[in-house]
Amino acid sequence: MAGLGAAGMGEPAPVHAINAGGVLGPLARAQYGALARLRWQMFTNGLRSNKGALELGARTFSFIVYTVMGLAVGAGAAVATYFLVSGNQWRFLPVEFWVLGFIWQMIPIMLASFQEQFDLGILLRFPVRFGSYVLLYMVFGLVDVSTILGGLFCAGIWFGVAAARPGLLLWISSTLVVFAVFNILLVRAVFAWIERWLAQRRTREILGAVFMVGLLSLQLMNPGIYQKRHSGRNGHQDQAEQLRAAKARYAPLLKNANAVQKWLPPGLAAQSLQQAVAQQPQAGLGSLGLLGLYVLLVGGILAIRLKAEFRGENLGVAPSRVVAVPGRNKAASNVGIHGIAALGSGGGQTIHGSGPVAAIMEKDVRSLLRTLPLLYAIGAPLILVLVFSTIFLKNGAVQSPVFPLALPICMVYAQLGFTQIFYNSLGTEGAGIQLYFLSPTPFRTVMLAKNILHSLLFAIVATVAGVLTSLRLGIPDVAVVAATAAWLLFALPCNLAAGNIFSIRMPYRVNPGRISRQRGSQANALLSLLVQLGFLAVGAAVFTLCWYLDRMWIAVPVFLVLAIVAVFVWRQVLGNADALANERRDVLIATLMKAT
Amino acid sequence: MEIAAIHTYGLTRRFGALTAVEDVTLSVAPGQFFGFLGPNGAGKSTTIKMLTGLLEPSAGRVEVLGQPFSAGALDLKRQIGVVPEGMALMGRLTATEYLNFVGRMYGLDRKTTTLRTQELLDFMQLSNENKKLVTDFSHGMQKKLALAAAVIHGPKVLFLDEPFEGVDAIAAGMLKTMLTGMINRGATIFLTTHVLEIVERLCSHVAIISQGRLVANGSIEELRAGVASTLPGAAQEQRLTLEEIFLSIVGAGAGGGQEPAQELSWLA
Repeated sequence: MAGLGAAGMGEPAPVHAINAGGVLGPLARAQYGALARLRWQMFTNGLRSNKGALELGARTFSFIVYTVMGLAVGAGAAVATYFLVSGNQWRFLPVEFWVLGFIWQMIPIMLASFQEQFDLGILLRFPVRFGSYVLLYMVFGLVDVSTILGGLFCAGIWFGVAAARPGLLLWISSTLVVFAVFNILLVRAVFAWIERWLAQRRTREILGAVFMVGLLSLQLMNPGIYQKRHSGRNGHQDQAEQLRAAKARYAPLLKNANAVQKWLPPGLAAQSLQQAVAQQPQAGLGSLGLLGLYVLLVGGILAIRLKAEFRGENLGVAPSRVVAVPGRNKAASNVGIHGIAALGSGGGQTIHGSGPVAAIMEKDVRSLLRTLPLLYAIGAPLILVLVFSTIFLKNGAVQSPVFPLALPICMVYAQLGFTQIFYNSLGTEGAGIQLYFLSPTPFRTVMLAKNILHSLLFAIVATVAGVLTSLRLGIPDVAVVAATAAWLLFALPCNLAAGNIFSIRMPYRVNPGRISRQRGSQANALLSLLVQLGFLAVGAAVFTLCWYLDRMWIAVPVFLVLAIVAVFVWRQVLGNADALANERRDVLIATLMKAT
Repeated sequence: MEIAAIHTYGLTRRFGALTAVEDVTLSVAPGQFFGFLGPNGAGKSTTIKMLTGLLEPSAGRVEVLGQPFSAGALDLKRQIGVVPEGMALMGRLTATEYLNFVGRMYGLDRKTTTLRTQELLDFMQLSNENKKLVTDFSHGMQKKLALAAAVIHGPKVLFLDEPFEGVDAIAAGMLKTMLTGMINRGATIFLTTHVLEIVERLCSHVAIISQGRLVANGSIEELRAGVASTLPGAAQEQRLTLEEIFLSIVGAGAGGGQEPAQELSWLA
């Protein structure tokens, strides 16, 4: 290498100076350009395959859907704001900001699987400044669903205020910008810290347990509170009287809540506008300044995390609390050398039959308890049922007679929550997928074990959801319960069969350590939803017809016949699982082993 | 005539227009420690994937222990162990849980699996790491665990793709002892590695693949004699190392015949 040294010393390298110009200097700009080019190349390279083209189509479709949803939400916000501002109903304005904040923070959790992820860890080997790293962290993934919906909601508020009080244009613009920045930073900070905690097994398990206990508590408390609240009512109480009673009951609570909320970001944003209208610009600026302090606080909390990441902290090797036992290794190793003498000579007792099925189920349960995205996927249906069942309450009271389709519709929601589990059942396997091809266990056994476990989990969730629905909405007719059960017997094998095909043909890797910004597959999400809608349409047609004829029991034999066909199809798919998996094994392995 | 532990006939794998492995025919005798060498991108991992059922060959066939091997050959899979390129680990399990799972996937009963799991963890010095999830293991620890998983069912044929990569010297010594013990008890080992010193110490036979084609195959002594015969006069007498043999066979072609020092003259 003598030649290298001699030649390398002479000429100055044609590179940008590292410290020149800060985060907008020549080096930083060159790096941003290189990254933008990298993203573009990754995008165009992805289009070379059919899967990539399908993915682009699905993403475009999703973007349009979310934008239309955002426009609808924005239009609603604009109208509401216009009437609130023009009618001087300022006390209700904080509600809008709270709703805006809630949507901004909740959407990323609800759509955790469908957000694009770009690992900025690759930047750490390059001479990138911390400021540039932060900037890139903020820019990548900015155009996500929450920002689209939140941004259009903000635009709605802006138009509403601008139409009602043009003089407030500057105030509302400043307030919305600061509030939007606060929400963007808060989403990132919350997820960055949760992921840090999830990196340690102990905290991961504690969080998982807290999540499940919290979820179940919420579900169990809700009917109790509801029944207590409505005990003694006949359901036909005068509406106005109910409203008055509610006002009297909740007035002190609302007063206290209002005293607290006005010091929180949504309250401060609304208060700033209100003070500007009341010719108190200094107070308005004070509220806006306080909101700015919240931005700095949340930004600071996020910066602590980013600084640690920037210094090279790898969440995959978060420090362990395990304490080594001195002297254990040596002794153990001696025993081991003696013990493994049998290796290479074959042998060992073997069992056939259910062993691998039980092993896979056992393994999946362990993985499940340590994988927050899947725990969430199982728990989410219960939240959906809770929210959805409210629709069937009339003025907060149980309808009489109970709406006959309430139970099956709640079951549909419970089932939709299992989409990721049914339709991407291999997603958390990672490199472990290789083992299924290396071991003497047929792939159909693997899928069978997963199907049994997922069916059991679904049965538990469906039972809990059914009980909750009955507690909340009243016990449905026996014929409705029987028809719903029969429909589930049809829908479950349908989903398992389709899910097995999707899991093998269109898998995507689920990062068990993340609950947000997963590298999901829009194509899988969209197509699986369409397939499910097909099954649901069949169910809906039968239920509606039977309801219309007032002969709900007819649905039972119809669904049972369909269930027999569905089970037959599921068995066929399961029987072909080996052929399907072997045909796709290189793509399957490569996709699930892909680093996230 | 002795049945070969591994036999390939015209093994070929194409990825679109690219032929990654072309017409590889080789035979590994039972009880042989076989080294499979080649420069980066030569087709080693692709070959081992075809030999273990992870990849379908475009042409040719594979026989293991005298029987045709394919992805569906479940009884044969019971006889082989593999440390594949990606290690096939499951990050959300502990080492004990993972080995228990693997043992049962290979059909071992719970008692045997539990016993062997503990022995392997002790041997690999992973017993103290039992609270950690596999995802939190270092790369070397993951390699040791992958090797433990590959042997838990007592395979007769073992395929190892870069098993020593990232493993410390102490652990590497233990692994070598274990692998040598397996050979002594009649197992066959098919090893790919870039560490030629390990191949020279452990392997009796070597095959070299370059640009998807098998360019050398035989015992190390046979390869040494073959390369020496091409050298001028006195050079034929010196004992060539495996590295020299390897570079002599594939080195010039891989380097493109140019001096790297002249190519990268701007380096400090």
